[in-house]
This record gives sequence, structure tokens and C-alpha cells, in this order.
Amino acid sequence: MIEFKNVCKKYGTGTDAVKNASFKIEKGEFAFLVGSSGSGKSTLIKLILKEEEPSSGNIIINGKDTTFLKQNRVPYLRRSMGIVFQDFRLLPDKTVYENVAFAMYIVKATPKHIRRQVPMVLSLVGLSGKAKMYPNELSGGEQQRVALARALVNNPSMIIADEPTGNLDPDTAWDIMNLLNEINMRGTTVVVATHAKEIVDQMKKRVIHINKGVIVKDDKKGGYDCEI
Amino acid sequence: MRFNVINYLIGEGISNLFKNKKSTISSLMIMCATMLIFGLFFVIGENINAFVKNVADAQEIRVIIADTATEEQIEEIGKQILEIDGVRNAEFISKEKAYEYMKEMLGESGAELLEGREGIFSVSYDVTLTDLELNDEVQESILQLEHIKKIESANKVITQVISLANGVRIVTGGLLILLVIISIAIISNTIKLTVHARRKEISIMKYVGATNSFIRWPFLVEGVIIGVLAGLLSVGIIWGTYTLIANKIAETSFLEIAHWKLLEFKDMFKLILTVYLGLGVGIGVVGSSISMKKYLEV
Repeated sequence: MIEFKNVCKKYGTGTDAVKNASFKIEKGEFAFLVGSSGSGKSTLIKLILKEEEPSSGNIIINGKDTTFLKQNRVPYLRRSMGIVFQDFRLLPDKTVYENVAFAMYIVKATPKHIRRQVPMVLSLVGLSGKAKMYPNELSGGEQQRVALARALVNNPSMIIADEPTGNLDPDTAWDIMNLLNEINMRGTTVVVATHAKEIVDQMKKRVIHINKGVIVKDDKKGGYDCEI
Repeated sequence: MRFNVINYLIGEGISNLFKNKKSTISSLMIMCATMLIFGLFFVIGENINAFVKNVADAQEIRVIIADTATEEQIEEIGKQILEIDGVRNAEFISKEKAYEYMKEMLGESGAELLEGREGIFSVSYDVTLTDLELNDEVQESILQLEHIKKIESANKVITQVISLANGVRIVTGGLLILLVIISIAIISNTIKLTVHARRKEISIMKYVGATNSFIRWPFLVEGVIIGVLAGLLSVGIIWGTYTLIANKIAETSFLEIAHWKLLEFKDMFKLILTVYLGLGVGIGVVGSSISMKKYLEV
């Protein structure tokens, strides 16, 4: 599903963000990506999204080497992933329903398909009753659910979440993680970059540790703290 | 592309215009102003062109043949004149015809004076030109032929009118280039503001997998609408002003003396509308493309 082969990323400023990273996340897997700020987590996510190009090495997504993917094919790569951010990134002047439908407009879905699909994902994330509300009328957790619904609406094969609980209180954070877990149970691959030590420790999922750009540990059923 | 997608893209473009009222209106105004200045010269130029054409149609070079020429020679001269570059037609005027013309011009009282004097007239050719600018060259070529007595024409006025027409044409061309540059800068700036205001939305679109062309369309629509609106508004303003001024001038009978009738606006309407709309669309497309470039690299 997602495979890194000896990937290095050096930024123009001379920073080695990722050094010789190799790992493979299988279809249907749930993986945490942990590490302190500046460890290279975000760069890894950006490399998966092809927002950044690797300096060397290969990245294979869904069996395709994206290293030499043409720029105009990138949108189609991204349609195979649902992306969730720490700051939700909802459109403030659109309702919950419109925010989710927006993602379907972009992939040129038919109105009929949109009318059927959007209520379905909204009920999946437990927001059926709030379809007509605007993001600023929702709590942080609810906003992140909308973002999740938007990520899910086009039935991606994987969900990439960059610090999805970073702006949420612990209880709400658990709600979101449980939801991600539920989505994973339905067969979607989930990759979560996070700081949430407690959650990582309790969920007993695969944990990929990154420190100063190097993948220092890859636990199949690990916790946040690890002996290096 | 499906109908609902097109609808969505155009709808977004239009709503951009309203979200950004101040800059939309200001760029509309500035574009209108530049288009009007261009239009002013365009209208004047068109009138001068029409005048030149009128003069050209009416203007004849009268080539008077020497009395010594035989009939064959006269015929030969006619053929030779027609072969000269820039000559549209050469009409043969016999002595009798010249006499008739003169009689007509003098009226009844003068006709008596001419009675029995057909012999004083010379045979001539009335030559019309395809292009007034060739006037001097044609005259020179004709003078080189044999058996030519002299040439009569009013060339001073012609050259002056031509140089005036050329001057206006150059100014109009210069203004057109200036208009295009200014307008592209204005539109691209307006759209930069919209793009900047919506950069968050654009980045979300990119992450969800929107293609660049999908993202670009609403902004393109916005630019084209501003351009087209400015074009339509300018045509309306020019129409009103021109008709008003043309009517005022017509009242003074000043132009009648010069045998010059101003063009009616409807004669130029199609051309002006085409030019303005073409400019509006072109400027809109180029302007918005320029402003989008930076934001599409996510």
C-alpha cells in the first residue's frame, strides 16, 4: 500500500529531514507515526502526499512508484487518499454538508451520487443532525469529524492524518481515534502522525518512531515510548 | 465535463465577484476608463478612414491628352494607365463629353457661351485610384507616358488627410497596446486578491485531489466576466456620447462644407463590440492565468 525504499529528503536549506527511511504499510493496516516536533514526521506525510519530492529513494503507493509521477497526475494520486489535518481546514462559509459535498464536486461526482453519499458519511461520523450548521457553530471535535467525513466521502483506500487530535481535549481526541479505528475496521488503511502518547500506548497498533529524520524503531504492537 | 460541474465552476466565479466587490468595481472602472480612451481614438480614426475613403472615391486625376495624339495613341494611353499599380479605373472623356459636362456645370446661361466651341476641349481620362496613398506614384507614372498634356488633381489636401489618418492610426495602435498592458495588470491584481483570500480553499482543493484546471476555472470566469462587463459598459458609454456629439456637430452644418458626413454609431457598433469583447475575454484569461500561477504549486 505505502512503501518507502531508502528515501532521503534534504531541503534546500541543507536540513536533512528524512534519512534513508524504509518501511512498508500494508493494505488495511493501522499505523502511528510518532516522534518529537521537527523529527521529520510531517516531511514523511508530505512525501506520501507528494507535496514534497524525495531527494533520493523510491516511494511506492498502491503498487505505483510515485517518484516519477508527473505533476498533472498528482491530483489523481491524492484522490486515493483521504487527508485530515490538525487544524481541520474546513471552509468557514460553507455548511457541514457543503464542506463534505465540496470534495465530491472536485472529483466531478454526479448530483445524485452526492445526495446519496454525503448523508451516509455524515451519519458514519455521527453528525447527521448538524448538516446545516457552519463550522464555527461546532466544537473542535465535531469540526474534526466533518474533516474526517470529507476525507472519507470519496471512498479512499487510505486515510492520512497529520496530528488529527493535536487541537482537541483528551476525551474528544479519543472519540476521533476510535472513529479512525472504526474506519480501519472497515478495511481502510490508516496512517496517523501524532504526539498523543497515551492514545498510542493504549491502542496497541503498529508504531513507527522517527527521530531526527531516522526511523529508529518500528513496533508491530508498540507504545509511544521505546528504548532506542 | 458534466453540466453540474460547469454550473458549479461558473457559479463560483460569479460569487467571487460579489465577495470581492470593492476590487471588482475598481478594476471595472479602470478598465472602462482605458477602454474609453482607446474607443475615443478608435471612433475618430474610423471617421477619418471613412472620410479618406470618400475622398478617394470622389477624387479623380484628370489626365489631359495632347491634341496631337492620334486615336490609336489615345486608346493605347488608356490601356497603359490601367496597367499602372494603384489605378482602379480610367474613364475616357471625349471632346463632346467634356463639352457636355461643362455645359451642365455652367447652366443655361453659360451654355450660350459655349455654343459651337466643342473644339476648345481636349480629350482626357478620368483616373480613380485604389489607394489614395499611391496618388504621387501614379501621377509620376502617368507623366512618363507619351502624349500627355497635363494632369489635374487636388493632391495637397489628399496628402494632408492621409498623414492625419496615419497619425490617428498610430496613436490608436499605441493606445491599444497600453490598454492591454494596463488591463492585464489590473485584472491579474484583482484576481490575486481573490486567490489570496481563498488560498486556504485552494490548498484544501489540492489536497482533496482537484486538478489545476478545475481550480483555475472559477478565477478564469471571474476575469472574463470583469473584462466583458467593462467592454459592454464602454460600448454603452461610447454609443451615448458619440451619438450626442455627432448630433451636435451635424446641427452646425460645419462639416457639410467639407462634404463630410460623420459615421453613424451603428456603422461602427459591430466592430467596436467585437474589439471590446475580444479584449475583455483575452485580458481576463491572461490576467487571471498570471495571478494563479504561484498558488497552484502545492
